[in-house]
Amino acid sequence: MSEQGETGEAITILLVEDDAPTCWRLQDALVKAGYEVRSAGTLAEARSALAEAAPRVLLTDLRLPDGHGVELIREIRQRFPDTEIMVISALGDEESVISAITVGATGYLLKDAFPTDIATTVRDLVAGHSPISASIARFIVRRTQGAAQSSAEPSPGPVLNTAKLTPREIDILWGIAKGFSYAEIASHLGLSRQTVPGHIKNIYRKLEVHTRSEAVFEAVQQGLIKL
Amino acid sequence: MPYLLLQALIVIATILGLRLLQPSDPDDFAVSGFSLREDGITRPVTLPHFTSSRYSLADPPLYTGAFTFRRDQAASGWSVFLPRFSNAVEVAVNGVVVLDSRRDANANRPDRNTPQIALIPASLLRDGSNEITVRLFVWGPLRGFLDTVYVGPDTALRPAFETRTLLFVTLQVVFSAWQSILAVILAIMWLMRRHEPVYGVLAVAMVLGVMQAFVPAPVPPVTTSRLAAVLLASAPTESALIVMFGVLFFGWRWPRYGTLLFAPGLVIFVVGLIAGPPLPRVLFLTLGVPMVGICLFLMACVTATAVVRRQDAASFTIGCAVTIVLTCWVHDMLSVFEIVTNERIFVSRLSYSAMLVAIGAGLTWRFARALNQVDSFAGQLVTRVREAEERLKASFAREEERARAAALANERTRLMRDLHDGLGGQLVSIVALSERGHEGATITDAARAALKDLRLVIDSMDDIGGDLMLALGSWRERATAQLRPHDIALDWRVATPQGLPLHPELRPWHVIQIVRILDEAVTNAVKHAQARNIEVTIETLDGGQGPYGVISVTDNGRGFALSGNGETAGASQTARGLRNMRSRAARCGAVLDLGSNASGTRVRLQLPQVFPDSDAAGG
Repeated sequence: MSEQGETGEAITILLVEDDAPTCWRLQDALVKAGYEVRSAGTLAEARSALAEAAPRVLLTDLRLPDGHGVELIREIRQRFPDTEIMVISALGDEESVISAITVGATGYLLKDAFPTDIATTVRDLVAGHSPISASIARFIVRRTQGAAQSSAEPSPGPVLNTAKLTPREIDILWGIAKGFSYAEIASHLGLSRQTVPGHIKNIYRKLEVHTRSEAVFEAVQQGLIKL
Repeated sequence: MPYLLLQALIVIATILGLRLLQPSDPDDFAVSGFSLREDGITRPVTLPHFTSSRYSLADPPLYTGAFTFRRDQAASGWSVFLPRFSNAVEVAVNGVVVLDSRRDANANRPDRNTPQIALIPASLLRDGSNEITVRLFVWGPLRGFLDTVYVGPDTALRPAFETRTLLFVTLQVVFSAWQSILAVILAIMWLMRRHEPVYGVLAVAMVLGVMQAFVPAPVPPVTTSRLAAVLLASAPTESALIVMFGVLFFGWRWPRYGTLLFAPGLVIFVVGLIAGPPLPRVLFLTLGVPMVGICLFLMACVTATAVVRRQDAASFTIGCAVTIVLTCWVHDMLSVFEIVTNERIFVSRLSYSAMLVAIGAGLTWRFARALNQVDSFAGQLVTRVREAEERLKASFAREEERARAAALANERTRLMRDLHDGLGGQLVSIVALSERGHEGATITDAARAALKDLRLVIDSMDDIGGDLMLALGSWRERATAQLRPHDIALDWRVATPQGLPLHPELRPWHVIQIVRILDEAVTNAVKHAQARNIEVTIETLDGGQGPYGVISVTDNGRGFALSGNGETAGASQTARGLRNMRSRAARCGAVLDLGSNASGTRVRLQLPQVFPDSDAAGG
């Protein structure tokens, strides 16, 4: 069994993870699902792997021995716009995931996820379905509320510009945060079930900081880059 | 004693002052040698001269004198000047009347010292000796009086006349005007402050004084005796009012018998209404005037007592003023009874008016000072309130800070306990399993449980704004992931889009307890009941006392004995799990219902309307 892209070739994944057991575990699950996986333990290894060919999917940890995963995400986002990017997170904590989203990641993978879930998540991502967890959705909608209520006291955590989100997208995020399924959200909001993933993809895109100076500013704001 | 000495000094000063104030007259033009024809007898007299008292205007005493006029010396017109007379005069030069004071009501009042002046038409004057006759109209009971008559150039006489007018007429008018204004002010004060009758009393006294001053006294032939009665009664009434004022002003109670002071005034008034002249006038002189003196004396006593008791500026000032008036009154009495030589100038009324004005001014001053005190008191109050407010605010902030710190410490303690009880125990269990050489699934399960617990604790720390649905959303994801390897479906049914009511008081530890109950229910369903399907129902009910949430977990497993009679190891484990669920529910004020039979188990968790703040159920 082999997962293939539209061209019929095997889907390539670059896995950047410095903890060897975790790396093996993820790699096993992905290889078993038919993906072609290259792994790297450091930023430098990841960059040299990128020199050969662009991967279809990047899975990266954020804390790496020689740098921060956010740098890698931004580089790939600029060099290979078609590459799907996911963050590997131990606990799915909002702090790291949102930081990654603002530089261009469109999903996250829990380190302890069951092997079948790992494969499913990647498959969905390649198919254009960005997964979004209830806690991430909750973080985003709480932030939109906070922005609406008062700007005097900035909420803790990474800076997130939620101004571009439409009311509909915020409603969808609310539904996800409260644990509703896509089908339930679609019926509550009078949407077609198929359009919900597209909305979520849009949410990711809107949360991304686009210009380079903006990105640098955001990164500095988040303490990801030390000047 | 020093006070009495001072009053004696004031008396002396007053007498000296009166002497100094005595207006000087142009003595060069005095005509004092007259022949008086009275009751048919003619005799030579020297002015000033007192005649006997009489009550008839017919056949008045006639003074006839002569003066010399030189036409070549007369640059201007000549006048006749009468500085003082009582009660009225008719002056004729060479048989032609040039002045009749009866036409000027004010000039005839014996209590005023009104002077009169009249130009003598040049045509009347003859070169050489001229005759001047003065008819003196007297209406009792006072004796008639005619001061020296001055005849000479108008330019020489006019200044003396003006001085006397200023002193005895204009000044009186000015004082009366002040008095009337003060009367209005005091009346308003009294109207606004009814509980302080002192203002009203003084206002009435002043109104009486003003009336007495401005209402013209009738000239006797016109016997409007009622008006005269009012005017005559005014002086004793006024003086009684002043005593009353003094008593009230110094904060004493007005004694009931004090009303007797008003009796003389009343008697004069009544007699004036009933009887015709001259009885009221006689009564006035015998009853009214002494009454004024008695009242003044009483007032002096009152103020003296007040000075001794209170030692303040107000009583002292009023005391001095009363002494001055009393001195003036004695002076007038001596003048009336001709005990001292004098020109019959009465100063009581003038000094009394001055005193009233002084008292009125003093009262107004006191009133203004009271207002200032109120102002400053209000200011102080505002400052005090502000200070108290700030202190309160500070202590409130301190209290809030303390409460927040306590809440934080509480939260921290709970978190530590949760981590210790859950995660700690699980990690220890993992270590134990590893040491005993267990492989695979058991350790994996324990580690997954530990990780799940860590997620739960971290997740519950997040601010969910009182919306339990947000916590349940995360839990659904975790539970689904947990159930997927077991191939168990998790049905999620939310009755309304809103889901559960908002609970602003919801704390992280409430969330942890609720999620652990749900976890326990799911674990039981998987491990012990071998369920294939688990359904979570979330709904909001309203029993008439506000909405409350209900979360139900239903499985289609084989059920278990709720009694937990210890048949198997699994059953006892289940029993312990159930105990845990109950105690957790009790801690956050929720009601747990369990129902189990062969076709499945149902856990119904009814949430409280308000989550308890403290861990009431203990543990």
